[in-house]
Amino acid sequence: MLPVLTAKEVPTSGCGPPYGCICSEFHETNTQKAPDKPPARGPETYGRVRCAGLVLKDSAMSVVFDGSPLKAMQSPHSHTAPAALSAQELSQEIKSFISGVDAVQGRKLSVREHARCAVRLLRSVPACRGAVLEHLRGVYDEHVSTFLHNLETEGNASSGATSNLEDIIQEVHGVLSEFIRLNPRAWAPLVSTWAVDLLGQLSSKHAGRRVAPHSSSLNELLQLWMSCAATRSLMEAYSQCLAAMLAWCPDACVDALLDTSVKHSPHFDWVVAHIGSAFPGTIISRVLACGLKDFCSHGAKDQGPLVEKGSRVPKIGSVVGILGHLAVHHSDSIRKELLRMFQESLAPSTPLSPSSSSTSWEASPQLRRAAVPFLLQLAAMSPNLFGAVSSELVELLRPAVLLQLQALLQGLPREELDNMLGLAVHLISQSPTGGARVLRFLADTATPASVIISGPTPSPHEGVREGCDRLLQMLLLHLHKLVFNRSEGSDVGPFGSASSQPQRVIPFLEELRSHVAPLCAETLRLERKRHLWLHQLLCLLSVYGGPSVATETLCQLLTQARNPEELALAWQLHATLSSCMVGLVPAAVAHCVAQIHTHTLGRRQLRQLLLNLAAALQSQEEEKKAAAGAAGAAGAAGAGAQSSMAAQIGSAVSVHLHDFGPLLLHGDPAVSHAAVRLLSCSPLPRTASPAHLLLLSRAAVTHFFLTLRRRGEAGKTGRDAGQSGEAVSCSVLLLTRFAAYSALTLKAIIQQLVEGALHKGNAELFGGQIADMSGAPVASPSVSPDLGASLLDINCRFGTTVNFSGSVWSVFHAGVIGKGLKARTAANLPDPSGVIQNIQTLLAVIVQCCSSSSLNGSQSPSDPEEPPPINAEAAKVIAVTLVENVCPDVANGELSWPPEEHARTTVERDIHIRRCFEAHPVLFPLLQVVAAGRPALCYCSAVLRGLLATLLSHWEGSREALSTDSPWHLQASCLLVSCMGEGQLLPPVLANVHEAFAHLTPFEVRLLLLAVWEYVRGNGPLPQKFVFSSDKGMFCRDFSRDGDVSRYVAPIHSVLHKNIDTLGHLCWRFQL
Amino acid sequence: MGDIRQSLLPRDVLSAAKELLYHLDIYICNMVQSGRQPPQVDSKTLDLIEEFILHTPKDRNAPRMSALQELQLLEIMCSCFQEQSRDTVRQLMFSALFNLQGNQADESRMALLSKLVSMAVAVGRVPILECAATWLQRTHRVYCVRLAQVLVDDYCSMVPGSGPTLHNIHSASPRFCCQFITAVTTLYDLTSDELTPPMELLQMIVSWIQDDPRLVLITFLNSPLSGSQPISSLDVTPLGGLIRWCIKAPLAYRRDKKQTNNGSSDGEPDAARLFSALHLSVLQVFMLLPNILNEKGLFGRLALLQMESVAALASDLSRLLDQADKHTHAATSDTHAASQLALDRLAQALQVAMASGALLCSRGTRWSLGNLLQLVLSGPVMYYNNIHTPPLTYSPHAAHSPIPTLPPHAPHTPLAAHPAPHAQYPAQPFMTGMPFPFRPGH
Repeated sequence: MLPVLTAKEVPTSGCGPPYGCICSEFHETNTQKAPDKPPARGPETYGRVRCAGLVLKDSAMSVVFDGSPLKAMQSPHSHTAPAALSAQELSQEIKSFISGVDAVQGRKLSVREHARCAVRLLRSVPACRGAVLEHLRGVYDEHVSTFLHNLETEGNASSGATSNLEDIIQEVHGVLSEFIRLNPRAWAPLVSTWAVDLLGQLSSKHAGRRVAPHSSSLNELLQLWMSCAATRSLMEAYSQCLAAMLAWCPDACVDALLDTSVKHSPHFDWVVAHIGSAFPGTIISRVLACGLKDFCSHGAKDQGPLVEKGSRVPKIGSVVGILGHLAVHHSDSIRKELLRMFQESLAPSTPLSPSSSSTSWEASPQLRRAAVPFLLQLAAMSPNLFGAVSSELVELLRPAVLLQLQALLQGLPREELDNMLGLAVHLISQSPTGGARVLRFLADTATPASVIISGPTPSPHEGVREGCDRLLQMLLLHLHKLVFNRSEGSDVGPFGSASSQPQRVIPFLEELRSHVAPLCAETLRLERKRHLWLHQLLCLLSVYGGPSVATETLCQLLTQARNPEELALAWQLHATLSSCMVGLVPAAVAHCVAQIHTHTLGRRQLRQLLLNLAAALQSQEEEKKAAAGAAGAAGAAGAGAQSSMAAQIGSAVSVHLHDFGPLLLHGDPAVSHAAVRLLSCSPLPRTASPAHLLLLSRAAVTHFFLTLRRRGEAGKTGRDAGQSGEAVSCSVLLLTRFAAYSALTLKAIIQQLVEGALHKGNAELFGGQIADMSGAPVASPSVSPDLGASLLDINCRFGTTVNFSGSVWSVFHAGVIGKGLKARTAANLPDPSGVIQNIQTLLAVIVQCCSSSSLNGSQSPSDPEEPPPINAEAAKVIAVTLVENVCPDVANGELSWPPEEHARTTVERDIHIRRCFEAHPVLFPLLQVVAAGRPALCYCSAVLRGLLATLLSHWEGSREALSTDSPWHLQASCLLVSCMGEGQLLPPVLANVHEAFAHLTPFEVRLLLLAVWEYVRGNGPLPQKFVFSSDKGMFCRDFSRDGDVSRYVAPIHSVLHKNIDTLGHLCWRFQL
Repeated sequence: MGDIRQSLLPRDVLSAAKELLYHLDIYICNMVQSGRQPPQVDSKTLDLIEEFILHTPKDRNAPRMSALQELQLLEIMCSCFQEQSRDTVRQLMFSALFNLQGNQADESRMALLSKLVSMAVAVGRVPILECAATWLQRTHRVYCVRLAQVLVDDYCSMVPGSGPTLHNIHSASPRFCCQFITAVTTLYDLTSDELTPPMELLQMIVSWIQDDPRLVLITFLNSPLSGSQPISSLDVTPLGGLIRWCIKAPLAYRRDKKQTNNGSSDGEPDAARLFSALHLSVLQVFMLLPNILNEKGLFGRLALLQMESVAALASDLSRLLDQADKHTHAATSDTHAASQLALDRLAQALQVAMASGALLCSRGTRWSLGNLLQLVLSGPVMYYNNIHTPPLTYSPHAAHSPIPTLPPHAPHTPLAAHPAPHAQYPAQPFMTGMPFPFRPGH
């Protein structure tokens, strides 16, 4: 209801300020509303007040921060208002106010009239102040009730003018704010206390109303209350008080706020939130300062977080609560404020500090000293605040600050320090974020300064370092307790229910779980004390995190360690954990394998991992040897854990052998080298599926050829050469061990070795040339110009496209008409010595594989000088493979030989075989190996026959003077015969003929070779003819059971005779 | 009287208090009628008052009054005292209620009393003010000062525009007004900002005294002659306090001004004018004294100004002067003028007080207060000897100073022919604008 004001002339000049008399006019008429303040807006109001009613609302709302214009008119106003009431009238007013009845007219006062009466008393009788304010509480309460009721009834009931006390509220507000403005020192404390208390009371009282939102939804609450005139007015009054009081005694103001907040805890929060967001900076710092003072006055006696006195809890509790509220929107300033508090408490007390005037706590040394414990306490009570601060706190702790901190804390008594330390440890262990940084900081600071290791930060003061050291150790101890009590609790649970209940979470460790890798890396730097701490922490972390973390940690250590000392950390970790965890090593290895599969490891890491595993296995072997050698178990006990770990690793690796296999073929030589090292020393699994075995053997063989190639590329000198040489030997070792594992692997390996050696990719390693299907070396692309995929091309390869083999026809393609004979590529062997070395290596591998095979049963270790005999089965595999590769046509063909004349039916095939031998020099040595493993050479019968046939035809057609004129054929003949002799396809007499070849003419060579042919035709190369002689440990053929040799020797003798001058020294070789 | 406690207990707070007041009234009436000597309220009654009116927490459960109830109680008391026609009864009742007992109830007693008096001022209850005036005479000055503080707060600072209400006590109860002035001058000794009287109060007091200088002496005139004053009660007259105000004001207000450099400069000359007027009024009061004292036959026997307080004032002043020196190294003419003014006022006041018999100080009294006071004491003498020279015009008001017209009471101007006991300080004219030769640093 707005008052109906008659237009009233206001004197504009002469008798005092223009607005003076308005109020006094209306004070005398109770029924009308008096504008307690003249409108201050615009010059047009000077003349007339007709719009006063309209302006009233505006001015009442803005009165809080209204400036000076009102001031000038206030004092005349104040002079006139009480003067209007005589002592008698005042007495009447007081009576009316007390009784609620108009003392003159004897009728009951309405609420509005009563309130207005109260306001008048407030203005004129100071002694009534308390009573009036108390009465006004009721008025405000009434208004709030009505307001809420209207809301509840959706306002359809007439929000009658009678019940709407808004104008009165505004009037009161106007008076109060005027008083506050005129004399803030006297009124602000009074009104602020009253307003806050009333706000608290109202909010609690009406909290249960239907329309009132739940206390947790702060924003809705805020909206509701700020839309209510009464509470808004109170809030504004309080804000005004606060603004006024901030200048001189902010603490009292905030104290009241805190107390009320404690009393009406959840319902009052909106007030704090509002005030806080209106004065964020000041409220936060005030609240902190209040809390600090309270803490300081109560504290010092008991500091523990759990031992708290009743009087102390509320204050700091509400500090926490309020800051928690403000943290939603003002977390940044809260953080700044907390950090500022910390910094200023440390800063040396400078009396000239500009900020010390506004906030008083910095001035008192006692308070400054209490600041750090107070902050710790705050942090302990509110994870929010702690979280806000913790992240940046660490950044602040520069050496200079640390020194100050130390200086500050030195003054504290011992037990207080201990308490603080405990609190800090507790906080760190509970901190959900930033743990890694804190840890790094602690470790950095606590690590002793050194000349050698220069940390990122300059070395702190020794005292600081010791402090950090202590803190770190306490932290570890605390974590240790937490971790082990926790797991103990779950284990010893009486009904097993303990395990089902969620285990206590330790946020610090929880966070560090994701930092295992960097932690491991730090640990492995092996910086003096640091790695001890970190190692301990890793142990705790592993125990805390259970198998997954433990596995991860171990895995990381295995991956990152670079030398035996570092690797030893892994063993130590395992030794600690093995007591409470089983199956750690297999899990770790499995984890590593998983990482390998997912390609999460880099090449270097991968390599390191493999090398570390290999080192572990090797150390085991060495241990074994040492233990066996020393026989005194002096070192065995110490190395027991390690060796057991090594054994576990061995078995774990062996299980995953097939997973490591593919790594042999890794693109990075270093990785494949590491892999071969690992595999070469890893024990083999007891059982393995054939598929895995085949896979592995294929990989191993492929790797073998790779290493050979690399050795060739690496050259002869330098580290590379040494490494590649070692790689080859490792590879050899691996193949050997593999071959010895089972018949299957032996067979697979040998077969693949032979195939590999003949494969066109590897052929050049062994001096071979790439041969086409026909066995003829193809011209390199540079020599024969690209003819395009044309008919001509097919024509060139005519022989291959139309297969006449097996028929009587043989078609040869000698070249394109007009271009002469097809160009034969000249064999370009870059490095004969390399070829020889490769061939040697290959043979060595094959021989080792063949001879070390377990099929042999008991190897006779009696004579270590003599190489163990070649295993017959293995040799047979070679033989079969050779035949298959050299001449697929005749695989599994007839072993016995036909008469020599029949050889012309197989000319084409024979030529193919010969070309193969020409292209692959390695075939002869292989044949020799086969020959050594009697009776395996029998299975090569077809190849031998083909080769012999071509040689025969060569020598027959040769028009050279001497056999040495066709060197390859001579050599091939010699080798062939000697092989057959070694393989006991020929008796010694015949086998020796090759010694004479070099001295003969081609025709004579042919004669001798024919004799050989004849013998073999007569005495077929059948394995049945061999018997096992146990004294030699190998198969032998008894030639005496065959027919008479002498008839085959005749041509030999005649040749001898003919050439007795040159062959005399060989005669004894052909004696029967 | 003690037996009504049981009947009071079940009642609510307010009605119990009312009932007790009623019974107290009857009880005291009976006592007075019975003519018992001395009329003394027994301790049981006092206990009852403490329990039911002052609500001293005997046990924690005792409900305290709300502010509204308290207001009602005050209102009842007001009318109760108003309606009581016999002064004796009223006085006895007042002292039964509010005389301090030195126990824990005193705090609430003081609070209630302050409110009652404040209210009485507002609604003009003369009887209460009279009682309060008596109370102020008998009570320790610390409590008097507190009461004055409440009144000043209420009427001069808290409620704007209520000053005139307080102004009226001058006409309502001059006795109370006089005691109030005494208390206020005791309270505000100008030692700090907080203890500087508000301008409104100053105006009020000045106008009171200007209107009626005898107001200051009312208590002295009305009270018995003998030294029946309780120890450490307020002075009989506010003269000492007023002198202090006048003397220290130039320095104190200059200090204020310096602190609020940019503050409104119109307040300061205002205050200076007021203090000047006040000084004149005080001197005028001194001039009234000889007649009054002679009437009472006390001239030369009763010292209205205590020697000790004057000595303290002098040492205070010397300290202030030192400070003023230190603070303003570049001694401005302002500083000089203020210092001179203070010294002059001190000299004038002492001179007039001694002359009028308010300060008893024989010729040979050794002022063991240092050179300054010696000088001050000798300074006016010199000046006085050269009475024919025109008075030094420190301020326009000094021209109206009554000193030149002071009737020469030959035997009672002990310093008039001062022999200048310290020969090493040669007497020399005290001229304005000349550097003061005996202060160090110049």
